[in-house]
Order: sequence, then structure tokens, then C-alpha cells
Amino acid sequence: MSVVTINGTTPIHRRGRRLSLRRRRQVAGFLFALPAIALVVGFIGVPIGQAVYYSFTEWNGLTSTWIGASAWTQAFHNSNLWTALQNNALLLLAVPFALGLPLLIAMLLHQRVVGWRIFRSIYFLPTAISWVVLGLVAERFFAYHGTLNSLIHAVGLTHVSTNMLGYESTALSALGITFVFTMIGTNTMLFLTGLATLDPSLEEAARIDGAGRWRIFRSITLPHLSRFIQLAFVMTVIALFSALFSLIFVMTGGGPGYATTTMEFLIYQTGFDQGAFGTAALYGLILFVLTAIVGVVQLRLIGSEE
Amino acid sequence: MADIDFDGVTKVYGDGPPAVDRLSLHIDDGEFMVLVGPSGCGKTTALRMLAGLEEISSGTLRIGGAVVNNTLPKDRDVAMVFQNYALYPHMSVAQNMGFALKIRGESKREIARKVEDAARILRLTEYLERRPKALSGGQRQRVAMGRAIVRSPQAFLMDEPLSNLDAKLRVEMRSEIARIQRLLSVATVYVTHDQVEAMTMGDRVAVLRDGQLQQVATPQDIYDRPANEFVAGFMGSPPMNLVPCQLRPGRSRVEVVVADQSIELPLGYADTHSLPEAGADVVLGVRPEDVLIADATGANVLKVRVERVEALGSEALVHLAWGEGGASSSRDARSRSFIAKVGPRVTFAPGDVVSVQVSPEHIHFFDAGTGISLRAGGR
Amino acid sequence: MVLIAVIMLYPFWVMIGTSLKSEAQFLSGGGFSWLSWKNLTATIPVGQEVLSSTIVCTASILIILAVGLPAGFAFAKLRFRASTVVFLVIVSAMMVPLQAILMPEFVNVTKLGLTGGYLGAIVVYAALGTPFSVFLFATYFRGVPDELIEAGIVDGLGYFGALWRLVVPIAIPAIATVTVLQFIQIWDDLLVGLLFIQNTSERPITVGLAVLAAGRTTSIPELMAGSLVSALPAMVVYLVFQRYLVKGLTMGIDR
Ligand SMILES: Nc1ncnc2c1ncn2[C@@H]1O[C@H](COP(=O)(O)OP(=O)(O)OP(=O)(O)O)[C@@H](O)[C@H]1O
Ligand SMILES: [Mg+2]
Repeated sequence: MSVVTINGTTPIHRRGRRLSLRRRRQVAGFLFALPAIALVVGFIGVPIGQAVYYSFTEWNGLTSTWIGASAWTQAFHNSNLWTALQNNALLLLAVPFALGLPLLIAMLLHQRVVGWRIFRSIYFLPTAISWVVLGLVAERFFAYHGTLNSLIHAVGLTHVSTNMLGYESTALSALGITFVFTMIGTNTMLFLTGLATLDPSLEEAARIDGAGRWRIFRSITLPHLSRFIQLAFVMTVIALFSALFSLIFVMTGGGPGYATTTMEFLIYQTGFDQGAFGTAALYGLILFVLTAIVGVVQLRLIGSEE
Repeated sequence: MADIDFDGVTKVYGDGPPAVDRLSLHIDDGEFMVLVGPSGCGKTTALRMLAGLEEISSGTLRIGGAVVNNTLPKDRDVAMVFQNYALYPHMSVAQNMGFALKIRGESKREIARKVEDAARILRLTEYLERRPKALSGGQRQRVAMGRAIVRSPQAFLMDEPLSNLDAKLRVEMRSEIARIQRLLSVATVYVTHDQVEAMTMGDRVAVLRDGQLQQVATPQDIYDRPANEFVAGFMGSPPMNLVPCQLRPGRSRVEVVVADQSIELPLGYADTHSLPEAGADVVLGVRPEDVLIADATGANVLKVRVERVEALGSEALVHLAWGEGGASSSRDARSRSFIAKVGPRVTFAPGDVVSVQVSPEHIHFFDAGTGISLRAGGR
Repeated sequence: MVLIAVIMLYPFWVMIGTSLKSEAQFLSGGGFSWLSWKNLTATIPVGQEVLSSTIVCTASILIILAVGLPAGFAFAKLRFRASTVVFLVIVSAMMVPLQAILMPEFVNVTKLGLTGGYLGAIVVYAALGTPFSVFLFATYFRGVPDELIEAGIVDGLGYFGALWRLVVPIAIPAIATVTVLQFIQIWDDLLVGLLFIQNTSERPITVGLAVLAAGRTTSIPELMAGSLVSALPAMVVYLVFQRYLVKGLTMGIDR
């Protein structure tokens, strides 16, 4: 070995000696994961912690004063919170439809009649459209001069007219119906994928054994789809808690009154219309807990299966 | 071009037993070394340590004299052929083969030339533009070989490269790989659990068991002079017959008692074998082809019963047993039976009693406790 | 089936039909006119808004990929200390709705001075999209045999080289899935664009539409024309890359 080599490579060699191969792999792994960790911790993790802190304060975005647990007792005495929670609970009634209809549609598509691919594309197409746009269209549908009334008149009930979005009693139902429509594409897609993984020979075997359609559906198709239904359920409920904002924003603005104000919209209103950042952060935590419960239930379900 | 030296190399995963236990093994430059042993004995682990894919727990590993314990794989200049070939799916055959050269920064022309040369040796020229997906198993295997040889590395490492091929291709590629290795004369470590590969391909064979090296020798030496009971039983198909027996002082010679019968060993036998005192338990080993079924009566003839005859076309395996038939446990049954390999035309049938003869020079003795060969001088 | 198709196509029919009427024709019910389309750019700065949407989408997706690919590779193949726990934490962040952390997030991003231009929205979209992309890439890379990476390493690659020259090319389908899903999600999103881009002249199209709609003073046919314009890119992406979308949605359960 010449002097030059030693001079030239010693530092590199020294570093090579110190870090073992495994260590080097781990360091590389950590560095590779670091940006993702930083982004998630910085913009999701830290705000959760801040939300906990600020939920005990009166906060306008600039200055905050600690008011302690009374912030929470006050919040729970606010009727708007209960209205929003109740609205969310009522909207849960839409979930069976948001799952049932797509299941039916997926079964239909699965029959593979002529042109089913085209129908599939058409059924999924609204998935690509923003809920803002779908909300605009839904508003047209439910409006006094809208499609719904035209349909009612067309079947002969000329003296009946509705304006579902205009009344506290019906606005939430209109929102629920729109929500079901917006979920159809995604959930149908999920179920169709599920059905595609079903071994057709199972069905044939059952048919040979003399099982009827309903029997086959009950004892073969449904159990096979259970994982997909679970996933669709979780995604639907989470969407219900956190993706209605666009619809509400363009369709009702939360009204009439507070009739269509859900938790997420309440957070927005409280924070940005009323400037009560602390209370809004607190509401955010409640929403967080609600979605966490859904997540945990889901994990439990998956866990119990394996 | 370099030699490879394992010096007390050990690998421990977690807190389990060592996967490779104080392995000391020298592979000469240009030598074809076969690592063989049962599943889980640490062959792959040894190879991966050599490639730099696995950390060495203790010991020293040298390539071409330089310690490489903490050297990155890319600085070791070794090429590896994986069992499942691990071809890059998004590259053509030519790109696969030239990839290492490209990383090394060689010129396009240089790469193309080397790839073409390698492709010619491997008869892959017409497939150079294809993707691995569009190749047969044997072709993929050759691409994996090609990827290794274009680099003209310090060493080839191959982990069961033929195990995914069907029997016929395996035979073909066996001699192909051996031919190419001789052509390029690069130190090669070849892992297999196929003993035919071990016997036919290597300059030397290293037998591993539970991470420990059992014996390193030329294939013929391993076959003729196994260092211990394990190697004797592992190499050869069907394996060596191993029968527990007892030494007894004879009139003037040593006698071996097998069941109720005995074999006399010639005078001078004790000179070449470090036999224990008379009366000791030993294990007698004899290869199936060394068991002669003879009509002769007289000394050194054992009377045994034919249990079963398996005709294999070119030869026949005769399962023989002695003593009372219904052995209680299978181990018991094995120690009371052995196999003879004879010519294909057998004239006896199950139930016949025949005489067998074993010439003393074909007998191996192993210590009943340690299993170590009792041949003088160990290995 | 046809009935369902009619229902699913209803939004398009409304958008097209309504946009081809003038304000007066819309109120009276009948007629046909290109007027709304002619006036569209005057009422809604469609060009600017589509450009904004494109910038925000592209930048966010690039960050999501640049951050998600190495992280997915690390969690799948280079496991480091506590990597399983860290992975679970990141993946569970998928379940956190933005609204739950909206207030602190908004204040933080504002304090960083990012809500002026596109940057605030880009960062928030990137952060929200990262957990899913890490999850999807990690799941995908677990299916890539270790030997493939090892072959590259023995061939002379470092970890970064292995990522860039082997892993990324192999991950093209997964990259397409993440890109398509995130594109549709970000293009269609309202909340982030509404709050984190304070400058009205840099508004994405979805936000622009929603604000005009909520104001309830804009001509509805023009609004519908704008809606159609906004829906078009996402629909095209969707129709072209449909199969990647399905794959992404069911990732992890249909194996
Ligand atoms: N990553 C690992 N972590 C823990 N233990 C391991 C790991 N890799 C291998 N082992 C253990 O080390 C021992 C040797 O494994 P190795 O893969 O070297 O065997 P092998 O001789 O190649 O076997 P085979 O013929 O089946 O390929 C085995 O007991 C195995 O269980
Ligand atoms: Mg192995």
C-alpha cells in the first residue's frame, strides 16, 4: 500500500469501520422515513397536542387565556354542540342506504350483462366530481323549481310542491340523500372488487346443491364480502363525519337555523365565523374522539377475524 | 481475482443459537467450493455474510487478503446469483446484465461489448432485448449467471441457483455452470443441498451442520473418507448404512459383532484405525454398493433376510434385515436393517435368506458417542 | 341498470342542460343559449382558477410522492429501531380528519406565513396525503422480494441508488394509484383551499365555485358552466386511470 492510498482513503475507511452494516441500513431507513415522519408529526401530531391545550383556553388565534376545565363544561352546555351531534347521529341513518344501494348495484354489475363495463364506468363517474359540484347539483334537484318537484308533478301530484332545503324538518334528509348519492360510486367500486375475488365455482357448487338465490347470497356472497363491507362502513362513517363540509357549504350553509350543522361544520363556524378558536379546537377534539372510536372498532373487528 | 478466507466467522440472529458457528474455511483463487448441508444449517447465511448482506457477529472475513467485515457490498466486488434469480423486472436482459457496469460508470460501448461476450458464452444473444418476464426458467437462470459474469468479479456466490429448474434442465445447467466457472476461473462459493451437484461440480466440498463445518475435502474424499457419521449419512444416495455394533477380541484378531453374527477384521487393521478397546460400542458404516450378496459361506459372511427389492432399472436396491422381524421402534428397525445396491437382475424375493459379504477395507467405523471417524489420522 | 345509469348521469345532465340556458331562460324553464358560456370567464376567473388548482395539485402530489416513496421503502425493507411503531403511528394519522385539528393547523400555518400564496395549502395537502401514500407504498414494497433489492446492492447500489433506480421504477403502478387518488381528492377539495389560500386571486376552482355558490348572487347557468369546467380534469384522469383507482381503494384487503 502506498502512502497516497492511505492518505486518500483513511477517513472513509474509518467511517466504514465505525458503522456496522446493519447500523448503516438502519440509519438509511431512518433518514428515508424522516421527511414523512416530520410532515406527519409537524402537521398532524403537533396540532392534536395543541388542540388539547387550547381546548382549555379562550383563544382568538393570537392570544389565549387559560380557563381550565370550565371550557369543557361550558361547551357541553352549549345547545349548538348537541344539535350538531344530534345531526351527525341522525345522518348515521343514511349509512345503511349508502352501503345497501351500492351492494345491490354491485350485484347487478356482477351479472356481467352486455355492456356492463360501460355501465360500470357510468356508475363510477360521479366519484370523480367534487362534492362542491355535486352539492350545487343537489341544490338544483331539491329547489322549488328543481327536478324533484318536476318529477312529483309528472306523476300527477300537481298540487304538491316541496322545498326540502328550505325547511328545518326536511333539510337534513335532503343532505342525507345527497350523501348517499355521493357515496354510491366508491362503495360500489369496493363491493365489485370484492365480488370479483369470489370464486365462481363456490356459487356453482351451491347451485348444484340446490341452494336458491337468496340462500347463495346469504351464505356465500355476504360472508365473503364481510371484509369489504367493513372497510366500506368505516370509510362511509368517516366521510360522514369529515367530508360533508363541501356539501353543507354550498347547499345550506348549515341552516336553516342549525338544522344541517354537523360537527365539522360547527367547528368551521365557531372558529371562523365567531372567532372562538378555543371552543372550535375543543369541538375538533370531540370529532377526533368520534372518528378514533370508529377506527378502534374497525381494528377490533379485523383483529377478531384473525 | 482473489481468495476468500472465513476465519472463525460466526453469525447469531437475535438470541437464538448461532446460524453459522465459528466457520473457518479457505477458498483458493479460482476454486469452486460447494457448501452443502441440510436445510437450515447456515449455508445461505454464510453466503450472505460473504456478500455483505448480513452482519458478521464475530470472526474475520477476508477477500483477497483484505478484511471485509464492515465493507459495503458494493465495495466487495463479488457477484451473487440468487435462488429466485432476482432479475430486475423493468429492464431488458441486456440492461439486467449491464446494470452493475453502468453503476460502476463504464462506457456504453464497453458495457455493450461485455454483455455481448457474456451472452455468447451463455447462448443468450437472441434474447438480449427481452424482458425477464418473457423468458423460460432456464433462460432466466442464465441471465442471472450473465449478470454475475459480465462483472468479472473477485468471486461468484451462488445460492441454490438450480433448485427452481426441472430435473432435465438442472442436469444441463450443472455442467454449464461448472464449464463457465472453469473458463473464467473465479473463486466460487456454490450453495446447494443437492448432493449430486456437490459431488459433480465442486473442486472441494464443505459440509455444514447446524452452522458448524463438518468436513472440507474433494468430493471423492468426502465420499470415501467421511470425517464423521453425519457426513457419511448425508452424502451418497441411498446413504451409507450405519449399524451399531460391538468390538470383541477374537482369537487373534478383532471381531465385530453385528447382531448375533460377527465379522473378523484382518491383522493390521488396527494400524490404520484408532479403534477403541475391545468391548466398546462403535458404529459400523458401509456404502450400499459395498454390500455384496454372495452365495459363499464361511468367514465374514452374514446371514440376512430380504425384506424388499426396489428395481431402479440400471440397478436394484435390496433392503435386508436380520434378527427378529417385528422391531418395536423405527430406530430399532433401522439399526437392524441395511440396503445393498446390486445389479438390476435380482434372483431373490422378499423372505429369502441370503448371505452378504463386506470386505473389511470398505468398512468405516465411527465412535458411537461422538460419531467421529475412527480412521487413523481422522479425516 | 339503465335507470341507475340515468340517475348517476343526472349531475352531468343538470350541468350541461342548465349551462346552455341564459339566466332568463333558466328562470322561465325553456330555451337554449350559449350566453352563460360566453360570460363565464367574466364572472368566474376560470383560467386563473384552473391554473391554481393545477399548481396546488401538482406540487402537493410531488411532495407526497417524494416523501412517501422513501418512507414506504424504509418501513418495508430497511426496518430501523421502532420502525413498526412509527409506521403504525403514521398510518393511524390517516384516520385523523382535518377538521379535528383545523384550528391549531390554521394558526400554525398562518404564523409560518404560508397562507398568502399556494404554499400553505400545498403543505397541508401533502401532510394529509402522506400517511396514505406511506401505507400504500409500504404495502406494495412488502410484495417486492428482498432479493431484488439485495441483487442491486451486490451489483453496487447504495440504499439511495436502490430506491431511485430499482424501487421507484418497479413502483410505477403504485405511484399511479397514489397520484390518481390524490389528484382527485385535492382537485375536489374545498376546506383547505378555502382557508389556507387567503389571496382570492390564487383560489383553486373548487373553492371559487363554492364561494360564489354560497354567495347566492351568481347566475346559476354560469355556475353550472363553471362546475362543468372544474369537473372535467378530474373526470378525464378518472376515466383514463380507473384501474389504479380501484386498486388503491382496496389496497391491503384484496390479497
Ligand atoms: N433473518 C433471520 N433471522 C433469524 N433467524 C434466521 C434468519 N435467517 C436465517 N435464520 C436462521 O438461521 C439458520 C440458518 O439459515 P440459512 O438460511 O442460512 O439456512 P440454509 O442452510 O440456507 O437452509 P436452506 O437449505 O433451507 O436454504 C436457520 O435456523 C434460520 O432459521
Ligand atoms: Mg438457503
